Amino acid sequence: MISNGQNRPLLYNVDDLPQALLQNPGTRIDFTRHFGIPFFSQIHFFAGSTGVTAYDIFQDDNRDINLRIQEAMSNLTSGDFFSINEQLEILSFGWKIGNRGYFSAGIYQEADIFAYFPKDPATLAFEGNAAYIEKPFDFSDVNFNGEILTVYHAGFTYKVDSKLSVGGRIKLYSGIFNAESTNNEGTFTTNRTPGGVNFFQHAVDGMDVVVNTSGYASLRDEEGMTVDKAAAELLSRSFFGQNVGFGVDVGFNYRVTEQFAINAAIQDLGLMFHQKDVENSRYFGSYASSGIEPLFPELNPNQSTIPYWDVFEEQLDANLREETTYNEYNTWRPLKFNASFEFGTGKSILPCDILISKKPRFMNLFGMLISGVNRPKGPTYGVTAYWDRKLTDQTRFRVAYGLDQFSIMKLGAMASTRFNNFNVYLAVNDILGYTNLANAHSASLQLGMQFVFKDL
Amino acid sequence: MSLMFTSCFKDVDLGQTEDIQLTPDLQADIIYYQLSEIDFLDSETNEYTPIIRDTTRLEYLDDSYIQDGLLYAEFRFKHENAFPYDIRSDIKFLDEKNRQQFNVSYLIPAGSPVAVAVIDTIHVMDASNIEKVRRSIKMAIELEMLGPGKGLEGELKFSSKGLFRLEF
Repeated sequence: MISNGQNRPLLYNVDDLPQALLQNPGTRIDFTRHFGIPFFSQIHFFAGSTGVTAYDIFQDDNRDINLRIQEAMSNLTSGDFFSINEQLEILSFGWKIGNRGYFSAGIYQEADIFAYFPKDPATLAFEGNAAYIEKPFDFSDVNFNGEILTVYHAGFTYKVDSKLSVGGRIKLYSGIFNAESTNNEGTFTTNRTPGGVNFFQHAVDGMDVVVNTSGYASLRDEEGMTVDKAAAELLSRSFFGQNVGFGVDVGFNYRVTEQFAINAAIQDLGLMFHQKDVENSRYFGSYASSGIEPLFPELNPNQSTIPYWDVFEEQLDANLREETTYNEYNTWRPLKFNASFEFGTGKSILPCDILISKKPRFMNLFGMLISGVNRPKGPTYGVTAYWDRKLTDQTRFRVAYGLDQFSIMKLGAMASTRFNNFNVYLAVNDILGYTNLANAHSASLQLGMQFVFKDL
Repeated sequence: MSLMFTSCFKDVDLGQTEDIQLTPDLQADIIYYQLSEIDFLDSETNEYTPIIRDTTRLEYLDDSYIQDGLLYAEFRFKHENAFPYDIRSDIKFLDEKNRQQFNVSYLIPAGSPVAVAVIDTIHVMDASNIEKVRRSIKMAIELEMLGPGKGLEGELKFSSKGLFRLEF
């Protein structure tokens, strides 16, 4: 799972990077203190699309772009998705407590956008209903969420014994912006009606489409709001967002043998409570029509006929309703999961794991990681196999192969090095994709710099 | 990062965004009716009225997606006549000031309850005259029974739909 958006497999199990603690608070680490350069200790960006690339749509081949859009749309399904995730670590620090514990804390800002391809509404908009008589266009295909929040977190990693380490992290979410529409229902169908009153019956059946937002109405209602001003306003809310939430991460690492370890973690088991600046739109109802039926009334010359259209619109408004509510709502944070096993070779007596101190460690680590993110229609998932090589106590690299819903050929690389206690790292996923991002289904990178101390 | 993004984004022409078009073909019912001999008799005097008419507004013809994007319209009108007389049908599309923009007029042949006469008409409005559809806002229907009212018995059924080809 080289690029499941919010997960970072190239940093998972990297025991000399504090960012590994954000992936698994129970992971092994080999440092005693860390302090991130504010705003630069982790910059993470991911973008992915499962069904289509920019090249599929915008390739420069003299064909009509609309033909390529049609082809792409016919290949895409309502299970395909687009995902963007960004994280910026604002503050990061931690230190060893006693012989068995490590405390870590910090603040990061996160933006996460996840949208399934709205296949049926897009088909209706691009192609109309003429070629799709009898086909129900499903409103449940509208399924997206987006959020911007600041996360304050504190965690503790504890060595239970020489084999097991466990950890947990509590998180306070400060919501800046949220928009979600995930449990929609209903269909629109144009049915043939042989023997009926007209050629067709156009039916909206059981429509219930809800879009919840927080942090949006105040932006919209402010006079003279531009995109730049809105971005500035959102940034100004970074530290004092209006809505709060709580979550936890938990994880463990278990050394089955000296060479073989297993570990797993979940992140962001948490809820956001949207209570302020909330505005929700709901569209609901059922209605069917075969057109207007004139009644040929007997009229005097001065009389006007029945206002059929007004009657039709009244019926429509009475049956297909729209309402704006300001009710509080809750959203689950996208739960992340990681589980891996790791096998070490090339024993060395480098200064090592503070939680399993004075033990030999391995210069080569071979691991396999399965990870994913819980999303509205089920978890995204993927598998990564990696080789992690420690060149010296200061420098290591990792190369990885992964497959996931975006691609079956994901090559990734990570390098981390220390100059005295100053650490710099860079991880790039889907290296092949970087040769032409337009033709890549996904791309992600993480980079950062921080002070990492190994005072043994 | 933006430099890297730009240098790695190759073989594409994002300028094509301006060429993206939505080209939906919409099938929509318009009006329908089912008339019997009662509809040709005055409800108070029971007097035979061979000509009956009615008008309805079609407000969607004034919507921006029709005004800006309608390229082609194909109307289908179908009459099923079980009356024993021919009936003249005139369907007029009118603008806001009741000026006729175009009309579809034909004779519905006489039928019977056991041998219903069917006339199925398609009327195409293309680039040469689509403007007339855009200018229309009302649909006026006029029917004239071409036979005596005495002993009139039967049924007339009408179905109509439009295929609207749009481009945005």
